[in-house]
Amino acid sequence: MSCGDPHETDCGEVLAEMWLFLDNECNHERRELLKRHLEECGACLEEYGLEEHLKALLARKCGGDHAPDEFKQRLRQSIQEIMVRQAVLGAEVTVEQDEDGTIVEVRTAVETRTWTSRERRPPPH
Amino acid sequence: MPADSTGPTQPVGPEGSAVPAATVGGPPGAAEDPQRPDGPDQGSLDQSVQDGEVRDGEVGDGAIAETAQQRSARFERDAMPLLDQLYAAALRMTRNPADAEDLVQETYLKAYSAFGSFREGTNLRAWLYRILTNTYINGYRKRQRQPAQQPTDEITDWQLAQAEQHTSSGLRSAEMEALDKLPDSDVKDALSQLAEDFRMAVYLADVEGFAYKEIAEIMGTPIGTVMSRLHRGRKQLRDMLTGVARERGFLRNTEVAS
Repeated sequence: MSCGDPHETDCGEVLAEMWLFLDNECNHERRELLKRHLEECGACLEEYGLEEHLKALLARKCGGDHAPDEFKQRLRQSIQEIMVRQAVLGAEVTVEQDEDGTIVEVRTAVETRTWTSRERRPPPH
Repeated sequence: MPADSTGPTQPVGPEGSAVPAATVGGPPGAAEDPQRPDGPDQGSLDQSVQDGEVRDGEVGDGAIAETAQQRSARFERDAMPLLDQLYAAALRMTRNPADAEDLVQETYLKAYSAFGSFREGTNLRAWLYRILTNTYINGYRKRQRQPAQQPTDEITDWQLAQAEQHTSSGLRSAEMEALDKLPDSDVKDALSQLAEDFRMAVYLADVEGFAYKEIAEIMGTPIGTVMSRLHRGRKQLRDMLTGVARERGFLRNTEVAS
């Protein structure tokens, strides 16, 4: 596919590599070639503009969620418990999961303790 | 940093920022060396993550043994600031907050257990995402009993060539404006409707800004597969979003360039 104007690189080729350009994943030589094409081909530039726009839109609208503070606290507590047991008792820790949720097992010479992540909140419906 | 931080509080980027946290506290210049796929600790690291079991005091070759308290402080300093980012990714993967919490919890406990063998200066963010992805694929996806998502076969050059043509219509700006008007929830919904492999590739590239090579390592696939997933995922996403924009009346039918 071509826009009809003569270009050093064919429009189809440029469009196929547009995402590599957009993601900064092509080598310098290729980059310069594509850049030159975009400068002289309005149709490709327009297409590139939309893809660039879409990428930015996703970054803006799909990230930035924050974990709840209560969850962060709970996680820190779990880590603390593992840390203390490792430090004081030389425990072995395993982290697994089954249908009940995350299971942490701490084995020491004197005791084995197990807890699951779902213990602290109601089971899912 | 939260006030209840157990470790020495060092200046780090704001939580959730795209600061390459792997280099926090690491040697200068480490940012330019994001991954060491052939590093001697990579294999054992993965193994320990998969087993979810690390014996205290076990250290990689040549590493200086650190106390549990030192390790904990290092984890607090380097890994905890990435919690929000990992949570956001987990939310996009699992599509609900309760599962996202479980997934992140398991990821962090595994990461903490294996942290003794993690080397400072390597890419912590990619390492955590790798654990997150593995944990999700090996556990949560099975448990959620999601239907197996569409196979992501390699796209052929022929298909690519077929797909690539532009319309010199001047309608792109109308499409851009329409997309901008979409509320966040519409964009998130559209992303969540993508097949899982596409969704993760697009999320890691466009929201998290990972390089193809890093995404390949995180998802455990060749770079070619990453490119194909990105390509197809973005195309589907754009079609979906344009459709939604049209439904909402942000884009008149005559303005839809296809």
